[in-house]
Amino acid sequence: MDKKVTVNIDGRELKAKEGQTILEVARENGIPIPTLCYHESITPYGVCRLCKVEVFKGGRSRLVPSCLSPVEEGLKVVTDSPQVKDNRRMVMESFLARCPKNEVIRKLAAEMGVKPLPVKSKHLEDEDCILCGLCARACEQIVGRSAISPVNPRMKQEQATLSLKPSAACIGCGTCAYICPTGAIKMKDGDGTRVVYARNWKKEFKLKKCQVCGNYWAPEAQLEYIRKKVNLPRGFFDVCPNCRK
Amino acid sequence: MEALGVYAPRLVSQRQGFASGHRACAGCGEALAVSLVMKALGRNVIISMSTGCMEVVSTLFPHTAWTVPWIHTLFENSAIVASGIEAGLKALRRKGASLPQAKVVAMGGDGATFDIGFGAISGAFERGHDFLYVCLDNEAYMNTGIQRSSATPFGASTTTQPAGKVGMGQLTWKKNMPAIAVAHGIPYVATASPSYPFDLIAKVKKAAEIEGPTYVHILSVCPTGWRIPTDMTIRIGRLAVESGIFPLYEVEKGKYTLSYDPPKLRPVEDYLKPQGRFRHLTPELIDKIQQRVTAEYAALREKAASG
Repeated sequence: MDKKVTVNIDGRELKAKEGQTILEVARENGIPIPTLCYHESITPYGVCRLCKVEVFKGGRSRLVPSCLSPVEEGLKVVTDSPQVKDNRRMVMESFLARCPKNEVIRKLAAEMGVKPLPVKSKHLEDEDCILCGLCARACEQIVGRSAISPVNPRMKQEQATLSLKPSAACIGCGTCAYICPTGAIKMKDGDGTRVVYARNWKKEFKLKKCQVCGNYWAPEAQLEYIRKKVNLPRGFFDVCPNCRK
Repeated sequence: MEALGVYAPRLVSQRQGFASGHRACAGCGEALAVSLVMKALGRNVIISMSTGCMEVVSTLFPHTAWTVPWIHTLFENSAIVASGIEAGLKALRRKGASLPQAKVVAMGGDGATFDIGFGAISGAFERGHDFLYVCLDNEAYMNTGIQRSSATPFGASTTTQPAGKVGMGQLTWKKNMPAIAVAHGIPYVATASPSYPFDLIAKVKKAAEIEGPTYVHILSVCPTGWRIPTDMTIRIGRLAVESGIFPLYEVEKGKYTLSYDPPKLRPVEDYLKPQGRFRHLTPELIDKIQQRVTAEYAALREKAASG
């Protein structure tokens, strides 16, 4: 049996398991905290800074990222104090400056009532990537390929396949396109090829054609990877699942 | 999005809005659909559900499979109750109550949608309430013992219109409910299938975000009523899409987009053959169905091409 602790979030006394993060406990109990870089199946990274909440402990308070901070017995948390709102506004303003045209960012900012600052970035007019690193973490932890990662240090950082060339490790599964919170990575199927692309890189994949019905159904590289991983006979994926007997 | 299913399942929310332990039959496609719909909607929803399979199997007193506010309504009025909830929330907000955001969702089977609740749904669409209607279409009144509804396809044998020496099952064609929903001029209409889970989740999410009445039509394979083995549910759902019998498409403000458009349609025989309810069909009748499906699919493709 897990040890239970009691925390106070926004004035509500909540029971939680020891080791859970503040964000998990809040979401379980229907307390909204905005996030962009968090996903329940992937280890938290704490990079978008949107989930910061105010924590009161030992007579003083501080802002902590709730996706990384575990709950403690008797902890008092406030998710909508002026400090928290101020921090969210500042974070959203910087996202707006970086991705002024992105629909997701604009919608989220509008919901919070944040308006863009009158500053304009010279280079990042069409940028959609917010460097949350979800694609890189998903590729490493979920797919097990590490085909995508942040490149270039600090100010020039971007999310890309290593050295901006199409990665040999990429199998075209599309998990990065699925998880990307802002739609910076896109995927398109058509005419026997799949293209996975972002602003600064692009890779094409041949799709496997079913030998019975002739429809295209999945990238060849991905099927080959799965076949090797689970030790299936050669030619197992020549026929699509609907035609397989 | 349909081929995404290999690694992305691990990224779908693990929280169950529709809990396990309900009494649905083995291989139920409808329970699968509801579970996926609940994953897409999250926890801030209020559901009104009309009588039907899902209501009966999920809420045997004193148990419930629902982890969100859920109201059981009569067969005909899930859309009416949803309208009332939506209007009530609006009135409370106008009077200054601070309420969390909640999406109102009405659900019903094909009987509740196509036949009994039809007028109520039409009225709610016309009044423009901000709600989502999810139709779980298993093509007959399965809960009470496979009686025909106006969603039953041509040639299917049901207990009230059985195939035999006198008849050949259902004599009429399936009512085109998504087209009727489109005719109301509502902002979003889509068809989905639990055999394409990512497509279904994406469509329900999109429909829930749009303000105004939205309609999602889900084909729920029913092994009991369709007379198929319980392990065929997913495959039959996919064959329905690939043969063009149940094409997946979205209609946004009257603009048609096909979600899955195979270069070549499968013959409908692939879909009809494994099902016991179509066992009696002669080659002539299958040919008749094939012609109708081909023509309807071509018309749909044309609509998608012209925008």
